[in-house]
Amino acid sequence: MRGSVRIENLAKQYLVRQRQGIFRSKKSSVEALKAVSLQVEPGEIFGLLGPNGAGKTTLIKILTTLLLPSSGDVWVNDYHVQRQENQVRATVGCMLMGERGLYWKLTARENLEYFGALYHLPPPERRRRAQQILTLLELDDIADRTVETYSSGQKMKLAFGKALVNDAPLLVLDEPTNTLDVPSASELRAIVRDLNAAGKTVIYTTHIMSEAETLCDRVAIIDHGELLALGTVAELKASLQREQVTRVEGVVPNQALTAVQGLPAVRTATRTAQDGGDLLTIVTANQRDYLPEIINALTGSGAVIRKISPEEVTLEDVFITKTGRTLAEDTRLR
Amino acid sequence: MTIFSPAWRKYPSIVLASARMRLINISRYPGQLVVDIVIPIVFAAMPILLGRATAGPSAGEVFKQNTGTDNYVAYMLIGSSAFTIVSYAFWHIANWLRWEQETGTLEALYLTPTHRIWVAAGTAVYSCLRGVLSSVVAYLLGSAILGVNPFQGDILIAFLFILVGLVPLYSMTLLFGAVILKVKEANSLINVMQWGVSFLMGVFFPIAFFPPVFRAAALLFPPTWMTNGVRASLLGVGYFFGEWYFDFAVLWVFLLVAPFFGYWLFSRVELNLRRNEGVGQF
Repeated sequence: MRGSVRIENLAKQYLVRQRQGIFRSKKSSVEALKAVSLQVEPGEIFGLLGPNGAGKTTLIKILTTLLLPSSGDVWVNDYHVQRQENQVRATVGCMLMGERGLYWKLTARENLEYFGALYHLPPPERRRRAQQILTLLELDDIADRTVETYSSGQKMKLAFGKALVNDAPLLVLDEPTNTLDVPSASELRAIVRDLNAAGKTVIYTTHIMSEAETLCDRVAIIDHGELLALGTVAELKASLQREQVTRVEGVVPNQALTAVQGLPAVRTATRTAQDGGDLLTIVTANQRDYLPEIINALTGSGAVIRKISPEEVTLEDVFITKTGRTLAEDTRLR
Repeated sequence: MTIFSPAWRKYPSIVLASARMRLINISRYPGQLVVDIVIPIVFAAMPILLGRATAGPSAGEVFKQNTGTDNYVAYMLIGSSAFTIVSYAFWHIANWLRWEQETGTLEALYLTPTHRIWVAAGTAVYSCLRGVLSSVVAYLLGSAILGVNPFQGDILIAFLFILVGLVPLYSMTLLFGAVILKVKEANSLINVMQWGVSFLMGVFFPIAFFPPVFRAAALLFPPTWMTNGVRASLLGVGYFFGEWYFDFAVLWVFLLVAPFFGYWLFSRVELNLRRNEGVGQF
């Protein structure tokens, strides 16, 4: 079996309680996903990008049967998430919640063997599988130490290893390189690539754009519960290809932003915070022709330009253009 | 290619794995095992010493007039040991769910194809082992310290009451665990329930002393029947319905009804949570 996902018109609302004083609270509905449809093809590494609160965790939790959708249909590995949830669970390997989700008073080996039991592996197979994973992740030396003594990176590795226990055709990895140092993160990405080469389909969420760019075959950008863009990294970049990106670093007041946005040549101009100043990402039809016009509009409206750089389109630019913000920003605060 | 267990073997295997995991976990807190044995003895010693202080040498006689036995030391020790079993059942099942929520492992369990009820069953096996062993050791040790003979009456019937009483007790805690998944203040609620049920089951006194409403409420709880069954079989205080097999039959009714009700309520709460923000939120 090769892993795949098909999502049709998926929507999710849930109720949250807002406190009003000491004893009173009011319930309100949050629309976490709005009519999302997409397909993850067998054998691909599919990136899911979105700022915190965009709806990607909700989407992943529905794919892994932790949440029930409000409407729409989802098939994971050809099993329906609501009607065949046990088959879905048996054929998905998940790494959610990072280093949480492990028993800290147990050793790595005991954790893996216990989860092996929950995936219905017979005892000898549990032991064999646990050893195989420990060797793959180079955790052999600390395999019999309790998890509480591990570094954050080692816990993340073990959490990743837990996703491999059932040898599932589909891996769902939620920010697996979080808290890993650079060499460990690179090593883990290499393992993900190897697993993908061996036939596993991977759904990968990350807030590191370069990671998505180098690792993912296709990427979906999601924000405010909506699917904003979907395609290969090259396709998404190409959607801005006839356009040019100029980055301006400095201090950009509102009137300067409005002035730039008002220029006929400017498709989008998005201001985000960076290092105590502003970063303005401007998408125009042609950089060279319009650069003087942009500089005039900025300086004429009180902007202080520290650096201006016409650049190649990156996935980050696609993301900013589609969502109006960087990945670091938290949608929930809006 | 991964090999999976055949269907008939997988459920006992999960129950055993879940119980084993928790036994390994508690083995890393050896001090707790000592506490498990000491607490029931200290808990029983307080009313025993109070009885000696207030009633003096005639304490046994006065006690016999109200309960049917003059062996108030064993009476209290049995109550205290039964309380240990009830208390562990509440903490190990209801609080287990909250603990797994807090550590993030509850969602990890829900990601696997194993139904939660089997993991809960494993936790209950672990809790029973720990609770019953602690209680028995505490009873024997307490009897030795306080100078009573622990081997009197019909020990086999006493064990039957404990064994049959455990199933509805754990079903009741599963039902209660469903509430814990929803409420914020788990600890307060567990404490209230634990002490409430212990009070109603007559931990240190016969429930005949209760006003009628309380007595009726007490009879709705399986631990009341279990504790009285043990006391009646060991100390001859009298069964509620005269003969041991009538009281035993009532426990069987609890045994047959409580698991279904507990499972039904737990499943409903679980479904409700998954329709909203999920089981990991608390």
